[in-house]
Amino acid sequence: MIEIEHLTKRYGTTTVVDDVSFEVDEGSLTVVVGTSGAGKSTLLRMINRLVEPSAGRVLIDGEDTRTIPEEELRHRIGYVIQGYGLFPHRNVAANIATVPRLLGWDRKKIAQRVDELLDLFQLDPAEFAQKFPHELSGGQQQRVGVARALAARPSLLLMDEPFGALDAVIRAKAQDDLLAIQRRLGTTIVLVTHDMNEAFHLGDHIAVMDQARLLQHATPAELLMHPADDFVERLVGTAERPFRLISLATVQDALEAGEAAGEPVAASDNLHDALARLIWTGREALPVADAKGAIVGRISVGGILQHGRPHP
Amino acid sequence: MTLPSVVRLLGLLLLVAFITMPQAFAFIFEPLITRGAPAIYNQGSLLALTLQHLRTVFLATLASTALAVSLGIFVTRPSGAEFLPLSRSLVNIGQTFPPIAVLAIAVPLVGFGEKPTFIALFLYGLLPIFENTLTGLTQVPAQAIEAARGMGMNAWQRLSQVELPLAFPVILAGIRLSVIISLGTATIGSTVAAKGLGEVIIAGLQSNNIAFVLQGGLVVALLAVLIHDGLGLVERAAARRLGRAPDEVS
Repeated sequence: MIEIEHLTKRYGTTTVVDDVSFEVDEGSLTVVVGTSGAGKSTLLRMINRLVEPSAGRVLIDGEDTRTIPEEELRHRIGYVIQGYGLFPHRNVAANIATVPRLLGWDRKKIAQRVDELLDLFQLDPAEFAQKFPHELSGGQQQRVGVARALAARPSLLLMDEPFGALDAVIRAKAQDDLLAIQRRLGTTIVLVTHDMNEAFHLGDHIAVMDQARLLQHATPAELLMHPADDFVERLVGTAERPFRLISLATVQDALEAGEAAGEPVAASDNLHDALARLIWTGREALPVADAKGAIVGRISVGGILQHGRPHP
Repeated sequence: MTLPSVVRLLGLLLLVAFITMPQAFAFIFEPLITRGAPAIYNQGSLLALTLQHLRTVFLATLASTALAVSLGIFVTRPSGAEFLPLSRSLVNIGQTFPPIAVLAIAVPLVGFGEKPTFIALFLYGLLPIFENTLTGLTQVPAQAIEAARGMGMNAWQRLSQVELPLAFPVILAGIRLSVIISLGTATIGSTVAAKGLGEVIIAGLQSNNIAFVLQGGLVVALLAVLIHDGLGLVERAAARRLGRAPDEVS
């Protein structure tokens, strides 16, 4: 668990991060979102002490980060930046091996770990291990950047606009891959972005920052239904709100008894996708199938729409 | 084999053949001399002089490289940044002060021979290496350095594992320039009794023997072309590994 306590950073008379406190649960993904210049990156960089806080502290599993030597702390925390900062003079395998090499792992163990990570990120070791960063596409560079950050099995991963340099199609895929890998490894992630859609898509919790201050730290649904102030409300997008809400709920949440004709939707799909299917097929309701394919009930347009507004 | 490598090999063979058995080339130089004068330099071995010449240049460049690269590293660290203008001025003075004047000043201090030549070449060679070290180190992508810091590399690890390898082709280009300048400049060392190919040229000038002058000049020129070319190859290979177009560094 990460506890951020009264974290503040001042440069002269300007305060770039002002008394920010929140907690990040083990294995969860917290997105820090806000306009540019809100202090998000500085906040992130104070967690691995690339920026020394002016006041406040960060506890990782109860341990004050100031008591850990800087380099040792960073060996334990994965770090991914926009543009990734891959080393142009090292091939993919050597890039990924950076932190294990700093930690003095033996060669065999490093080679094993590199292959394991390349597999995890769907990069064939035979094809990619010896390639240099300039020979990779943007999406491949991104994957190598994340693989490198995960090489020494950090329990915490910090990501600063990790998808910022990708085009829309690859970005959506990269986001889904990140979620899948996070679920598999159980890594705690703090991710900074200015993209609200990304925040809602990825975050278990969202921390909204503006002008150095933390305005609200809550689950996506809470943020939509009970925004702390006008700024948060504007940022989450008043018009987008119902659609974001139904994206957060699954078909299971709106399951009704009864039958319907047509191709069944999966109970694990989100309501946004289910509604899209209903609109496209021109039906009022569709059957719902569980993971094994058995029909468990139905879902209707009316049922979905109810989830797009706050419960009375 | 490609055409450039054939030319390179022929150049090298020609040079080696000429300095090891210069008499075999006498027929080329005979038309240039007045009757009775020797066609080929006869006051010492061309091979020994060439090796001596190379040794002086090598040692001077090595010393210039050591100082210029260290200085370049120092002034690009946060703690040394304020020394940048001062270092630049000093290195520039080294370049603007004519080597012949350095010789004139150095001889009374260190005596005749190789030492004054070494000092002149050393001072003269600093600027290109220093400037290229600065360029190389400052153009290392900021993201690579940020990532290196974020992964827990300390200052020394960042310098040795990221900054210097990335700056290497540019620094090498500076060294190459310095070597070429020194190869030519080292000939004037013979005016203060340093062993080297300058001796051949000076002997030619003193006895009005154009063949000698030409021989000394040609060997120096051939050496310069071959070394320039060889170091260029290394640079391009290093730059290719970094994924840059080879012409970006030269």
